[in-house]
Amino acid sequence: MSSPVASRFVGSAVHRKEDRRLLTGHGQYVADASAPRMVHAAFLRSDVAKARLNSVNIEAAKAAPGVVAVFLWSDFHEKFGEAWHAMLGQELVVPPPLAITDVRYVGDPIALVVATSRALAEDACGLIEVEYEPEQATVDYATAAADSNVVHAAWGLPSNVMVAVPFTPMSADLDETFGSVEHVVETTIVQNRYLCVPMETRGVLASWTPGLEELDLIVATQSVHETRNFFARYLGLDEGAVRVTARDVGGGFGQKMFVFREECAVVLATKLLGRPVKWIEDRLENLISAGHSRNELGHVRMAISADGVIEAITVDHVADVGAYTPCPAVMDPTLLPGPYRIPRLGFSTQMVWTNTMGKAAYRGPWMFETTAREMAIDVAARQIGMDPAELRRRNLLSLPELPFTSPGGKVFQEITPLETLEQALGMLGYDEFRKEQAAAREQGRWLGVGICVYVEPTSMEQSTLGTEGATIRIESSGKVVAFLSTTSHGQSIETTMAQIIADDLGVSYDDVTVVQADTQSTPYGPGTGGSRTAVIAGGAAHDAAVAVRDKVLGIAAHMMEAAPEDLEIAEGVVAVRGTPDRSLTIKEVATQAYTNAHTLPVEMAGGLEATIRFKPKRFPTWSNATHVCVVEIDPDTFIPRILRYIVSEDCGKMINPQVVEGQIFGGVVQGLGGVLYEDFRYDQDGNPQTTTFLDYLLPTTGEAPKIEIGHIESVSTTNPGGFKGMGEGGAIGAHAAVANAVGDALAHLGVNVTSTPLGPEQIFQLVQATKKERA
Amino acid sequence: MKPSQFQHHAPEQIDEVVGLLAEYGDDAKVLAGGQSLIPMMALRMAAYPHLVDIARVASLSTISASAGAVRVGAMVRQSRAERDASVAKVPLLAKAIPHIGHFQIRSRGTVGGSIAHADPASELPAVALALDARIEATGPGGVRHIDASEFFLSTWQTALDDGEILSAVEFPLWGANSGFAVEEIARRKGDFALIGALAGVTLDGARVARACITMIGVGSTPIRCHDAEAALIAGGADTDLDDIGRIAAAPLTPADDVHASAEYRQHVSPAIVRRALTAALKEARS
Repeated sequence: MSSPVASRFVGSAVHRKEDRRLLTGHGQYVADASAPRMVHAAFLRSDVAKARLNSVNIEAAKAAPGVVAVFLWSDFHEKFGEAWHAMLGQELVVPPPLAITDVRYVGDPIALVVATSRALAEDACGLIEVEYEPEQATVDYATAAADSNVVHAAWGLPSNVMVAVPFTPMSADLDETFGSVEHVVETTIVQNRYLCVPMETRGVLASWTPGLEELDLIVATQSVHETRNFFARYLGLDEGAVRVTARDVGGGFGQKMFVFREECAVVLATKLLGRPVKWIEDRLENLISAGHSRNELGHVRMAISADGVIEAITVDHVADVGAYTPCPAVMDPTLLPGPYRIPRLGFSTQMVWTNTMGKAAYRGPWMFETTAREMAIDVAARQIGMDPAELRRRNLLSLPELPFTSPGGKVFQEITPLETLEQALGMLGYDEFRKEQAAAREQGRWLGVGICVYVEPTSMEQSTLGTEGATIRIESSGKVVAFLSTTSHGQSIETTMAQIIADDLGVSYDDVTVVQADTQSTPYGPGTGGSRTAVIAGGAAHDAAVAVRDKVLGIAAHMMEAAPEDLEIAEGVVAVRGTPDRSLTIKEVATQAYTNAHTLPVEMAGGLEATIRFKPKRFPTWSNATHVCVVEIDPDTFIPRILRYIVSEDCGKMINPQVVEGQIFGGVVQGLGGVLYEDFRYDQDGNPQTTTFLDYLLPTTGEAPKIEIGHIESVSTTNPGGFKGMGEGGAIGAHAAVANAVGDALAHLGVNVTSTPLGPEQIFQLVQATKKERA
Repeated sequence: MKPSQFQHHAPEQIDEVVGLLAEYGDDAKVLAGGQSLIPMMALRMAAYPHLVDIARVASLSTISASAGAVRVGAMVRQSRAERDASVAKVPLLAKAIPHIGHFQIRSRGTVGGSIAHADPASELPAVALALDARIEATGPGGVRHIDASEFFLSTWQTALDDGEILSAVEFPLWGANSGFAVEEIARRKGDFALIGALAGVTLDGARVARACITMIGVGSTPIRCHDAEAALIAGGADTDLDDIGRIAAAPLTPADDVHASAEYRQHVSPAIVRRALTAALKEARS
């Protein structure tokens, strides 16, 4: 393949192709779609965390105005087949579409009402009489493993342990190290339960056409192709009989990566009714039943030498996966040492079931390794009396010493942990801040700084995730259409991929249209998630564009009686290098390729189209960043406020700096939200306590700090563009940075912050407890 | 999250409103902005087959100032009151309104609707209580007035009789050398306050001639802190305001919720009172 032309669009903040429709309210979401004879679905959900279903009486609901059908499990039984995702494997089955004999969390769907409007469907839900026989729910995941109340007792399971990995030393001399170092630091880090909360809730318009025997789905998903494959298996259809599209998706953050049981129920309903059924989840449903995240704890031990060298780190980790987990993605313990030169590692891990909503993936699903390590490092710094920036500085990897193989088996290269730390500290003026902090404390003000350094494994290889595809076609008009395997849900994919393609083809950015999220026109893709688009989809877009470019050059060379290697393309014109008056427009080449293809030499097939799948040279593509946060806590009210937020990041070459920074902004706000505002709570009986936005507090524009961003660019060699993924990093780094800032602000009072959330109530309790301890 | 079916009535005269309330009794509810009612109906925490929308009753949307008071019609939107020249003569009301939700909410929410809803964490019931406002109620028997001190019975419970509508609120004017302040602890801008204090003072030299202190979010109604007011009046403008705050907080029995414990609310109350009084005194001196 020939080398690409000089970059014109890659690297610049071109206007986003998505902006016109999204900013003017013309995005097309599931709620905007309709179909002839469409009816609306609502679920009756359990309001008990654990109970036998003695009876469910639907007679009144069936007779209610506008009701088309009321479905129970018995209506769906034996009407569907296999219910697994290729990425997660055949063992992890999507739970039954409706409860069978018992309910296992508040929100567990019991019945599906289909009516001529959503309001009437909700009216009818209110007429269903359920007789529950409540049982003791298991809610506290820290003690669930030993709890004799078993969440899945109805399946005959003996305990609440889904997965248990006993303590595994990854280094032979782990115990000796802990026995011989100057400092052993032990702490238990607890991260609270918070959620993806996409702006668009889940939703599907499912249309089964009898006679054609085809299923059409418009769905809020991160993966149209895996949704198609799932439902082909589920209904025993050929893949070609299932079409899945998602024109715009209002956020996913991992929640919409896999098919949910509710979507299964709606698909079965359209199949049984033979008419389109639409389900638009409301916010209450989304908060209680669309997949919960974080909610992990780890007992961390660190062995530290007298001069602050971290010699070993271990974790005993427990994660709550709820009752039915849509995606059991928890901490990757082998990533615990992170971007540090820590030579020894050990871990145990446990995933336990509880009578709560199940675990779903959320932007950096493995990220508890960062929270656990970075919060533990601050605990260690306080304990050994070393500045937390200095403790990190002494242990962080830097670019010149790479590649480095971690005790968890990770091979780090092309990352800049120490470099980003220094840049971020410089942006803050760290030493000056420490002076300002000391002066503030004299005046009774509580100021603190928190640091978080992490590596982000992007573009991973697991099962389906290793490749993406692209079909690029120059049409007979000379305009370009790119069919990509991605399912954008807010990543500006149309923009960034068009930038790459325009550069590689030598055409205008405005002449490239990107088509995605349609299973009948785009190449297979595993789904957009895992920070994979820039590297893998970008690689596919590049390779396909280069292949099409070569076809343009081949045909143009024939037309101009020149050698292809003497030609260049710029701004839509093919010219002989050094002889610009010998040129053709791409449109002229396209006319030849399509309209006069019969006049081409036999070895030239005509058309200007190529389909390519791309696989990076290595997995994963590492990126990294350092976050630094400054907070001030009001000593009267215990309200924390962020004064400064700094990110120094390295995502390699940036396709579009504005898109990169947008990803950082969004991720950081989610991460700080999980510390300062968001906290999904259950009471001891498993009743959710934060079921509206009145109680589940999202950070809004008013709470978002100004986020200052510094870039360090170490180019990746896993892909032709030199890109690295970075979509999840903001949410990974912000949690510990903010928690550590709160911890630092309270350190002089003797408070040791080890858990989140950290709202005014928690800060008040920490301060009071320390006062009592010291009294 | 769709309300159950209801019939929307849009009368244009207050007599019609009263007539509809009499006709439908407990099945009817007054819609006066809907910023609390409609979400409660959408969540199916409340269901009313008849909503009597008072937005088209012109007489309920007037603001008038007399020598001693400003009368605000029930249907006056909070956003209008926020900018109204007459309302500006009631500084505590003007200062409280920006704390209500967000501007979109204030564009629909009304002064009377908020006071009749009587949420103990809301600002406007506390303003009415702090300023000794008079609530004007219109019912089948005509118009009567209820003192704010008698109006708020419990969470969402008022002294309005069945079939009565809150038609206006009269806010008395305070004299010269007065100052007012609203201090709140809210997790986010626009949230219901975890706890809040509204304060007003009139100075006569170093003497405090008049004082009001009202707290929100600490009980089932807004709470007027009479002992603290008396202590401030007795002690004068140079009293240790932390002491006043402690006197105000002592009798409070706040409740727990997901955002804050009773213990937290109790603990931070004195400081919030101190801050409100500090600001009010500063304004009174200026």
